[in-house]
Amino acid sequence: MKFVSRKFRTQADRVDKKVKTFCYQCVAGPDLLTVNVRNGVAVGIEPDLSAASVHPGGGKVCVKAFGIVQKAYHPNRVLTPMKRTNPNKGRHEDPGFVPITWDEAMDIIADKLNGVRATGLLDESGYPRVAFSSGGGGTPQSYMGSLPAFLAAWGPVDFGIGSGQGVKCTHSEHLYGELWHRAFTVAADTPLTLYNVSFGANIEASGGVCGVWRHANARDRGMKRVQIEPALSITGACSAEWVPIRPKTDPAFMYAMIHVALYEHPREALDIPFLKDRTGSPYLIAPDGFFLRDKKTKKPLLWDLKTKKAVPFDTPGTDPALEGTFKVSGLEVGVDGAATEHKNIECRPAFSHLLDHVANCTPEWAAKICDVPVDTIRRVANEFVANAHVGETIEIEGQVLPYRPIAVTLGKTVNNGWGGYECCWARTLLATLFGALEVPGGTLGTTVRLNKPLDDRMGSLAPSPEGFLDYPMNPTDKENWVSRPNIRNAYRTLVPLSGNSSWSPALGPTHLAWMFQEEPPKNLPKPTQPDVWFVYRTNPAISAWDAPGVARKISRFPFVVAFAFTMDETNHMADVLLPDCVDIESTQLWRVGGTKYVEQFWHYHGFALRQAAIEARGESRDFTDIATELAERTGLRDAYNNRINRGGLGVRLKDKGGKYDFSLEENKRHSKEEIWDAVCRAASSELTGGKNSDGLDWYKENGLKTEPFSQVNWYLYPKMVEMGLRFEMPYQERLLRVGKQLANRLHEHGIDWWEKQLTEYQALPAWKDFPGMWEEDARISSGGEDFPFWLLTSRSMQYAWGNNVALQMIKEVADNVAGHGGIIINAGRAAELGIGEGDLIEVRSSLRSTKGMAILRQGIRPDTILMIGQFDHWKTPYAKNLHTPSMNTVTPMSMRLTDATGSSSDLVRVQVRRIGEAA
Amino acid sequence: MTRYVMVADLRRCVGCQTCTAACRHTNATPPGVQWRRVIDVEVGEYPDVQRAFMPVGCMHCADPPCMAVCPSTATRKRDDGIVTIDWDICIGCAYCSVACPYQARYKVDKADFAYGADAAENEAEQYDPRKLGVSTKCNFCADRIDEGCAKGLTPGVDPEATPACVNSCIADALHFGDIEDPKSNVSKMLKEHKNFRMHEDLGTDPGFYYLWD
Repeated sequence: MKFVSRKFRTQADRVDKKVKTFCYQCVAGPDLLTVNVRNGVAVGIEPDLSAASVHPGGGKVCVKAFGIVQKAYHPNRVLTPMKRTNPNKGRHEDPGFVPITWDEAMDIIADKLNGVRATGLLDESGYPRVAFSSGGGGTPQSYMGSLPAFLAAWGPVDFGIGSGQGVKCTHSEHLYGELWHRAFTVAADTPLTLYNVSFGANIEASGGVCGVWRHANARDRGMKRVQIEPALSITGACSAEWVPIRPKTDPAFMYAMIHVALYEHPREALDIPFLKDRTGSPYLIAPDGFFLRDKKTKKPLLWDLKTKKAVPFDTPGTDPALEGTFKVSGLEVGVDGAATEHKNIECRPAFSHLLDHVANCTPEWAAKICDVPVDTIRRVANEFVANAHVGETIEIEGQVLPYRPIAVTLGKTVNNGWGGYECCWARTLLATLFGALEVPGGTLGTTVRLNKPLDDRMGSLAPSPEGFLDYPMNPTDKENWVSRPNIRNAYRTLVPLSGNSSWSPALGPTHLAWMFQEEPPKNLPKPTQPDVWFVYRTNPAISAWDAPGVARKISRFPFVVAFAFTMDETNHMADVLLPDCVDIESTQLWRVGGTKYVEQFWHYHGFALRQAAIEARGESRDFTDIATELAERTGLRDAYNNRINRGGLGVRLKDKGGKYDFSLEENKRHSKEEIWDAVCRAASSELTGGKNSDGLDWYKENGLKTEPFSQVNWYLYPKMVEMGLRFEMPYQERLLRVGKQLANRLHEHGIDWWEKQLTEYQALPAWKDFPGMWEEDARISSGGEDFPFWLLTSRSMQYAWGNNVALQMIKEVADNVAGHGGIIINAGRAAELGIGEGDLIEVRSSLRSTKGMAILRQGIRPDTILMIGQFDHWKTPYAKNLHTPSMNTVTPMSMRLTDATGSSSDLVRVQVRRIGEAA
Repeated sequence: MTRYVMVADLRRCVGCQTCTAACRHTNATPPGVQWRRVIDVEVGEYPDVQRAFMPVGCMHCADPPCMAVCPSTATRKRDDGIVTIDWDICIGCAYCSVACPYQARYKVDKADFAYGADAAENEAEQYDPRKLGVSTKCNFCADRIDEGCAKGLTPGVDPEATPACVNSCIADALHFGDIEDPKSNVSKMLKEHKNFRMHEDLGTDPGFYYLWD
């Protein structure tokens, strides 16, 4: 490269174009930015401060967005389509990739796809022959252009071969959160919360710009956050207090908080009207554990203190009893429709059962389990109660709503895997007791992904026969239970709570798709490999548990198409590599605003455009062009255009009410500009009720179009009141029934390997020895060895979901944050083991070992070590030279450690020993 | 008189390094050269441990030790308090690097790029050989301030006249302004909150304040 010496330039003339776009590399986005371009070259990223008044994070983007420039110009970027020349696949096989033309690449892929269509879309086991995997919690969709329309046009596709999502996500929170309050993710109402008890919710690292922004403001105005976690995270650093807790004992802490609220404070401390009118607390429980129902209407009964009789829950003007024993008659509807009529039996309300349930869960009891001082537990519980402000109200946009500024938030590993149900239940219950669920200051849901419609959380509310929120459970009744899984992870068969939305396949037990490859499940169809597997923005050979094992299984997949930024550990096994445009080279309109994941609560909603700031480098192609070409070559043009017209790209092009119609001609090939112009026009029209139809050019210039979104829509409570609905707390009668029915179905089909998971279905979840489950698994797997340490991971804001481990600048700045690049261990414990700063240590689980540099810190429990992020790369350029270990290498996929939702946790028992001196 | 200073609110900073990256982009610094960065500090002993994040860089001292030792007069202090280096004069002796108590100065002797000796397109576009063999450091984005002021904008208030690190901060932890103006944003913050400066005892009179309560 020849350089031209430049005269010193001012900032102003360093840039000749600023292009508005957005970053959605992680679920905490999207956030807005500008790309600075000079001479056609992207030279920098800046926040889009012109959007500061609209965007809830001041129009800023986080550090990850700054990596996009280096990504575009990465020297090891795949810039031409390539095909494999070595038919043998495996880590130690050279794929022999050679460059080919797009035409040849498409010929190869279309040939395979057309072969599948000719043979049949499903294989002999009933599984889709085509599979598609992506990572990033669904964010790759915002980069996939019109590919979703192609996949929808195709027919059955297996979206459930996981790379981490579905099992390494906040899984129990997703499923139970949507069940209880339409909360795919759960957040504090941070702008109004006064007291936040955070069990490992690492919001300052995982909450994105909006999370960081909102919490910084909250701290500034005096919100107190207590961070309870085994290792002092970024969020712990920014909290008022750090409480080191033994891993996986969080439910015990929360149960003790519930105990304190119920047994150490007067009842008036609770929000009694909320419990009586907005929850299932007064519902009477019949002898077998199901609701006692009205014989005629089958509605659950409650005891009315006014009339002194049992009446259906929705009887107007009642004063429901929360406590006591009442002599009543009614119907108990149990499993598989079995009904028992009870006459003059003694029943108690669900709330009374709750009192019994936590009677022994004292702080003294929890202290021993959690390894936390009893005074700390009791103090936190008391502070939580003291900040509840029961009875107070606040005016939001003219509407008077309850004000309850307390919230419990949960982090990953706390809210997934065994104990996840108990944590989510306890957290939701703690909000419920004080009327702090879905009200200002309290605990809020964000968006829905299992309930429909996906883009309208409020619109997803519907009543169940019991007066709760309805929920799209996968059927467990004899007639409708799905005995033959539709995809390889069997989510519809095994996990009723995963529902059946477009997101459900990825929210099932996605690691089972890998496990079953080598351990066929008894009495389910034979596990098969997909004939064609598409991979995009995911690297399961690194990001899955037992990553080396997954790599081995991938190597047996017969035909893999990988959309590739650089070579990596998964596309090392691919047959064809396709270079798609990176973030700043391609075009896509995306819905923004309203309430989205994590902490994205906007006062606006609308659409933002990701657009090409620079020309596509090399032979890389915009995803929409790739999808259109695939549709053309597979004879799916009409169906593909039809899917686009029907909203496949996030917006229906024709209004059902006839206000606008920007539909594409279905029998014609359209350019990406035509497609996105139509989408932009429909989006503008949808947003403005047909008044405005600004198209692609307008969005290119302005980047973003929004309309106001009422803050009242952040809260479910007003709508629940309007619809006369109750939150399904504390008693989980529905889950109890579903679990027992699922057990019946599985047993009828001879499936006996899901027994432990069936134990999760409890109406009032009890504390179990969750840490002991991991200890036991390690012992059994190793033949009795002792593994004295917990190995955990922690979020890196710099790396997470960015597909950016190959970026030098990201590594450089991440290294400023302690723990990157090595293994964090307690300094005192390290000294006992003779381990010094920088020493090479071996970490061994029952599965295998890995090694890395010791990083000595005080802010971690002596029984815990921590590896940030997901590394251990052996192929990805640059990253493969970092020698950074990953817990995925040593974490087994274990049926024993898989919970009822089909998830486990990033947690493993390990041994640690020094094997070398610091370099 | 005007004296521009930086204020970092330690209660807000999350150590994300967005400012570090924004500075790298804006000033096109080579790999490893971080005029702005955030250090990760841990104090105490388990279980009584505290961790904090501190943005650091040139403190734009009123009495800069780096300037005193500079044999070529390349390091100067502007009337508005910004300490600058004239790369046309700097002889690269690095006395200043040794003298700076804040480890804020960098010196790179040969072209170095993210992935070795070859510059990527974005690096080539921004390459400035005048930065080789001389001392470099944060200049509070002085050219941005000058451009902005020329347009009648207010540094620390208007983004176009404000250092890139401040504009980029996702925690709103970094602030910039004129400490001599009692009505400025920074003056108000310093009046309302407890604060300190790093190594104040050295008598450098640094222009970088940390809010802590």
